[in-house]
Amino acid sequence: MHVDDPAFWRAGAISTVLVMSVVLIMLTIDTLGAISAGSARVPAYAVINRHIDYKFDAKRGNDVPVITASEPFFGKAWEAAAAEALIEQGKLVIQSRACMDCHTFFGNGAYYAPDLTKAWLDPAWETWQAITGKPTREEAMAAFLMNPEMYRTWTRTMPNLGLTEPEAVATVAYLKWMAAVDSNGFPPNFGRMQKK
Amino acid sequence: MSTPDLLQTALLLGVYVALAGLYGLFYAIARLATAPLIRGAAAFAGTLHVLMGAVVVLWTPLGTPWKGLIVASSAAVLVIPPLTWRLLQRSHETEIEG
Amino acid sequence: MYRSQVLALKYFSAAMALFGVMVLAGLLAACYYIHPDLLFGILHFNIAKILHIDTMIIWLLMGFMGALYWFLPEEFGRELAGIAAAEALFYVFCAAVAVVAIVFIFVQYGGANEATLWFINQGRKYVEAPRWAAIGVVVIMAVFAYNIIGTAYASRKITGITAVLMVDLVPLLALYLIAFPAISNMSTDLFWWWWLVHLWVEATWEVLIGCIMALTLMRLLGTPRRIVEMWLYIEVALVLGTGILGLGHHYFWIGTPAYWLAIGGFFSALEPLPLLGMVVHAVYDAGTHRMKTTNKPAFYWMMAEAFGNFLGGGVWGFMITLPQVNLYAHGTQWTVSHGHFAFWGAYASGVVSVIYLVVQKVRGAAELDGALWKWSFAALNIGLIGMVGALLVSGFAQAFVERAIGGSTHEAFIAGQENPWFVQGMIMRVIFGLIFAAGYAALMWDLLTIGKRAPVPAAVAVAAE
Repeated sequence: MHVDDPAFWRAGAISTVLVMSVVLIMLTIDTLGAISAGSARVPAYAVINRHIDYKFDAKRGNDVPVITASEPFFGKAWEAAAAEALIEQGKLVIQSRACMDCHTFFGNGAYYAPDLTKAWLDPAWETWQAITGKPTREEAMAAFLMNPEMYRTWTRTMPNLGLTEPEAVATVAYLKWMAAVDSNGFPPNFGRMQKK
Repeated sequence: MSTPDLLQTALLLGVYVALAGLYGLFYAIARLATAPLIRGAAAFAGTLHVLMGAVVVLWTPLGTPWKGLIVASSAAVLVIPPLTWRLLQRSHETEIEG
Repeated sequence: MYRSQVLALKYFSAAMALFGVMVLAGLLAACYYIHPDLLFGILHFNIAKILHIDTMIIWLLMGFMGALYWFLPEEFGRELAGIAAAEALFYVFCAAVAVVAIVFIFVQYGGANEATLWFINQGRKYVEAPRWAAIGVVVIMAVFAYNIIGTAYASRKITGITAVLMVDLVPLLALYLIAFPAISNMSTDLFWWWWLVHLWVEATWEVLIGCIMALTLMRLLGTPRRIVEMWLYIEVALVLGTGILGLGHHYFWIGTPAYWLAIGGFFSALEPLPLLGMVVHAVYDAGTHRMKTTNKPAFYWMMAEAFGNFLGGGVWGFMITLPQVNLYAHGTQWTVSHGHFAFWGAYASGVVSVIYLVVQKVRGAAELDGALWKWSFAALNIGLIGMVGALLVSGFAQAFVERAIGGSTHEAFIAGQENPWFVQGMIMRVIFGLIFAAGYAALMWDLLTIGKRAPVPAAVAVAAE
């Protein structure tokens, strides 16, 4: 095959695309298994019943979620099916209100509002919870989501998107579950201020 | 990565590729024009690109495999413009003859 | 003119109109950063952003369709099969876009249920259009594919370019089906979503614009078919050879295994290399034709395509593609800087180039030149580069203040957004956005008038002096 012959390059294009596509498909099959809910990287939805932390893993060189003791979520323990229903509903909230067109999830979306990957773990809730007057973090978050314009955190106010209480509960569940996903250390240095 | 390292690394990588582009641009122009100044500019851009690669290897906190990738990329960068040009000339000549 | 070519002109007109909507929506979106209470309770940032990015996707797709509807009857030597259906669907397409936009603006959101996804807003970036409209897009693209493949079959004639095009159409269409599902697991949702977005804009669209540029070059510079086809195969090999697994650079942080950091980082780091070859090729084409052409604007916009693709996609992309840097840059205005530059360089410039080429043919002008296209070329590119630079400054500030120093929390986000460098960048972005908008207005006026102004014959001009 001669380099002046288009047929040579056509063969090159076909074989390159085929090889890369096959590798992509193989990696996709492996990845889909690795990220299905209940895997090592992506917890089962019932993780909303557990305490979630985010600690530095020296071996991996980044922060990883740490799932520990059981804790009530909105005052109770949720069975697997009920937790899954909450997560499904939460995702529908996120899509129906186009949250991704202001916020980011795992850094994907829009950049006008904060990233929500670890929103459940955000230290700011310690202050904001008091402002809402709610006894638990999840209730404070739900109260915020239902009337965000009442709890202005800074000059860019989140608009009221008409969330009902069940929708707010589902969204908080979603955020808690998402905080437990192993995102290879994104976002970096979470909660740790660095020297400049 | 520390804050100064982040800025340095990202900027170095951007300049590294930009210089690759400048090298390719001047190389191609030099093949068309006869002015030695342009050939000099191509050599200068190419040299700076390689130097930038060396700086990335020596002074950024990237891991060894990534530094290896930078070295290999520079080799490819240096070779792509002449190869592309030769192939372009050959394909057009073949077309005229054909 | 073939009926398909008449349709092409309609698609170009619709594309340019939507380009204008994109500019307006973009200016609006940019203003929220400066005046956060703008239209509060009436129209929020997310709706403006949806209008901005969705019109971008659609105007570019319409531009591609226009280009192919124009070139392909000549390529096949006959009218396109199924052209009547395509003609009718054009109006359906425009009406659907209008309805979707009106619902976005006036209804905006719905309850967390399937009905909202079917009729109001699906809320997944770039593919927010409700499912009924997504079905419409599938139908339109399927008919478009039939127009091409059916004609190839009927004419028993397949060229290298049409072969590549037809093979490309299959994944192009299939990938769009990812616009439909609502997957609960965000990691899985984003995994598939990136198949659609990346394998569109960094794979199938690259091949599509490559085919269109091949068809354009044959006419603009008289380049022989054999040569453009050879280079099309080279481009497909290199761009898809790096881009298919370069998809992995979206799989660093979404919950996927860590091997993607190595795979994605490695292959996407190679993605600038074919673009370097494209720059060399562009200079070769320009030089061997001594920059002489009967269509200056088409030629210059094609040069802008090659250089813009390298700079916006290659240089800007390379800055943020290695995972060690991306960890801090991901999901910041740095990304926005890259996105604006890459889309403009890789696709918008190419579509504008083709439209100028077609305008010359339609108006029968022996030569296409003038002052106005230069003003619009300058304003659009200066405006774009200015926006990109402003966003880069804001992006740097955000990556440092929010991520590297601030600890990536909500408070850190606020600190980043209030950083003086960030704020300055947002202001400069609006200013350059206005320059870009002026360039768009000039472009529209030029496209409507260029070639109609009959050139004064030389003898008369001399006598008048």
